[in-house]
Amino acid sequence: MQSSIRYAEIRTSSPGYWGILIALFAVALLGVAGAHHMDVEGHHVSGMSNQIVWGLPHVFAIFLIVAASGALNIASLASVFARQDYKPLARFSAILSVALLVGGLAILLLDLGRPERLIVAMTQYNFKSIFAWNIILYTGFVVIVVAYLWLMMERRMQRWSKPAGLVAFLWRLVLTTGTGSIFGFLVAREAFDSALLAPLFIIMSFAFGLAIFILLLMLSFWLDQRELDGSHLQRLRKLLGIFIAAVLYFVVVFHLTKLYGTQNHGFERFILMDGGIYTTLFWLVQIGLGSLLPLALIYAPPLQDSAKSLVAACLLVIVGAFAQLYIIIIGGQAYPLNIFPGYIVASSFFDGVVAEYTPSLWEFLLGFGGLTAALLIAMLVLRVLPIMPEALRAESG
Amino acid sequence: MATNPGKLLQSSRRDFLKGTAAVATILIAPGIFLYKTGQAAAGLEREARWGMLIDTNALSEADVDACVSACQREHGWQTAEGSRTDAQWVRKLRLEEPETGHQKFLPMMCQHCESPPCVDVCPTGASFKRADGIVLVDRHTCIGCRYCMMACPYKARSFIHENLKDQLPVAPRGKGTVESCTMCVHRVDRDGADAVPACAEAVNRNDSKAILFGNLNDPQSEISRRLRELGGTRLRADMGLNPGVRYQGL
Amino acid sequence: MPMLKSKLRFAMLVCVLGLLPGAPGAAEQARSQFGNIAIPDPAKPLSADKCVEPVEIMRRDHMEFLLHQRDETVIDGERGSKYSLVGCMNCHNPAGADGKVVRYEDPQHFCAECHAYASVRIDCFECHADRGLLQSQQGRLDMHAPAWKASAAVPPTSTLQRRLGTVDGD
Repeated sequence: MQSSIRYAEIRTSSPGYWGILIALFAVALLGVAGAHHMDVEGHHVSGMSNQIVWGLPHVFAIFLIVAASGALNIASLASVFARQDYKPLARFSAILSVALLVGGLAILLLDLGRPERLIVAMTQYNFKSIFAWNIILYTGFVVIVVAYLWLMMERRMQRWSKPAGLVAFLWRLVLTTGTGSIFGFLVAREAFDSALLAPLFIIMSFAFGLAIFILLLMLSFWLDQRELDGSHLQRLRKLLGIFIAAVLYFVVVFHLTKLYGTQNHGFERFILMDGGIYTTLFWLVQIGLGSLLPLALIYAPPLQDSAKSLVAACLLVIVGAFAQLYIIIIGGQAYPLNIFPGYIVASSFFDGVVAEYTPSLWEFLLGFGGLTAALLIAMLVLRVLPIMPEALRAESG
Repeated sequence: MATNPGKLLQSSRRDFLKGTAAVATILIAPGIFLYKTGQAAAGLEREARWGMLIDTNALSEADVDACVSACQREHGWQTAEGSRTDAQWVRKLRLEEPETGHQKFLPMMCQHCESPPCVDVCPTGASFKRADGIVLVDRHTCIGCRYCMMACPYKARSFIHENLKDQLPVAPRGKGTVESCTMCVHRVDRDGADAVPACAEAVNRNDSKAILFGNLNDPQSEISRRLRELGGTRLRADMGLNPGVRYQGL
Repeated sequence: MPMLKSKLRFAMLVCVLGLLPGAPGAAEQARSQFGNIAIPDPAKPLSADKCVEPVEIMRRDHMEFLLHQRDETVIDGERGSKYSLVGCMNCHNPAGADGKVVRYEDPQHFCAECHAYASVRIDCFECHADRGLLQSQQGRLDMHAPAWKASAAVPPTSTLQRRLGTVDGD
């Protein structure tokens, strides 16, 4: 049955297709320009400071890295969990995950204070640092997934694609655990310091990765005018609904746990009640627009068969994802460290006050540049390699 | 100049052979080299653990200001009023008790932890603890990821956000790397147990030592004796990091 | 710094390759390769009698000396090394009495002249002072003053020096 799947490169030459490619390329180029400006001038041209040391670029980067591991889920479902109905999309799943990871890593690299010292990061490891482990996990992920993709695409090697898929699946779980632990291991800050961040990041990756996957799948099929039967979308739609609900569950547990301990009330109050932008982002964007509305769009009976509602749900999940990561990363730093419990603290270094942060143009450029670079890589690979099935027809069996 | 273009390349056969031997030595004898380095390292006192004891009762607000400006002079950093990006190796903290309104001032800087979280998280090992307990950033291998700043419980580190010029020879510092208090390591390397960090120099008068530098590992040192007699507070003691900087009067 | 390191490695490799032919004519050959391009001969406003090593060795190995010394200083706190960058600058680019200094950006800076010629980019001076101690800094910061000045006591032989076999002198 699987051998009957036929894959083909994207062949369209429509102005829309080239327009999208050129637009992606242009934004990616602007991203490089933004990074270069920050590199030459120093980070004072960004909104980042000694209080908010990781800013908007890191929100984009973490989003892409988290989504990357999630994008691999479809391939894992086919290879590891033997769901043959997902098999036709396994190749695309692998390629998209590599592309997203490369985009995210490019942002992280270009935001470094000394990006030209990449070689130091690649050759000198402090193995107690989760960051150092992540460097290995990320590069290893790319190698493993590319190998996995090749094994899937090379007929003579297909029997090896199952074990490779298992390795890739386990690796991506470790990888996202590592990404979550970048924050989870920060014991000094109330906002982080939680083992829950690792599984939260894994479940976030499921939702974010699938949302991007669905959008790009629909886009490329539409651009190349291939047949995409609703039954396939229906399956992905249900999956996305489950993932969104799961993220919501973890968020609730995370905050309930924090709320139980009195010492964290200040921080929870900050995020949930009087944190200004962070509170707004939490309730309005992350919970409202990013979780509840997509759930409604996915499950409301009149919209069940609407492709448009699925697209809207995916877009909203991504918007909610950015809000969620913005709250975790930037909100977590904005809340002041509590070095002297019981005292009112003040200094010229912004002790005891909520740190301000306004992202600059350069950070937006770098962030969007990485995002578009990832999409561009995915689109270009679709054109040169037979990744996408020629058609996803209604299932007969 | 440029009158003798061959000068650079003129070398006698003997020099040449010597050079070849030297290069060969570099290539084939790294083991010998390592062995010798071990012998040669004589700079810091490996048995010591340097620390500072800060008596907040002996420090007025003006004293703490003096600490900050002494550090600025010593290491060549400045902070523009209200700047969010300028470095602050040491800063003046004002603590106020909410019930009574009682205020005190203290200098806040790198606490030179025995188990520094900044060292744990640094991906390249640029953030490191010297054998004598001083926590530093090796700016030659710092890639500017700022993870150490995320991890530090004391907010002791700064990132250099712009190009610098006219740095002082004792304090090389440049854009894109992280820095913090060095406990005046250049003075420590010169004077050992007799060293007086710049901040201490600025506030210590006659025999009163509001900021006392010394060896925590030496039970006979003044700092150990004073800690034994009067005690000292470790900031964020709950984290178990065992900082080398201790406070009295908190 | 690895940028610097790798580039220096490369520069060293070039030097080594230049030496490898081994025949007495090696220097001749190299010279003709460089043609008529003037090899820099930067001014050396020495305040000491001679450099810490013979000129030929310094030209070839100064980067090794500095890299080695750098780790010894930062990690092991060795300050008295004769290979300190501050020592180099004190001699080769002292601050003038009038306070005027030659900056690394100036083509006639002691380091810049050769590095521009050899197209080897260094980032030392993004952090380090690119000139000797200013008058006001001398004394206060004399732990960096070169201890090996002609009249001063001979410093302990460094490991690298031994390694390079330059201890005995000529």
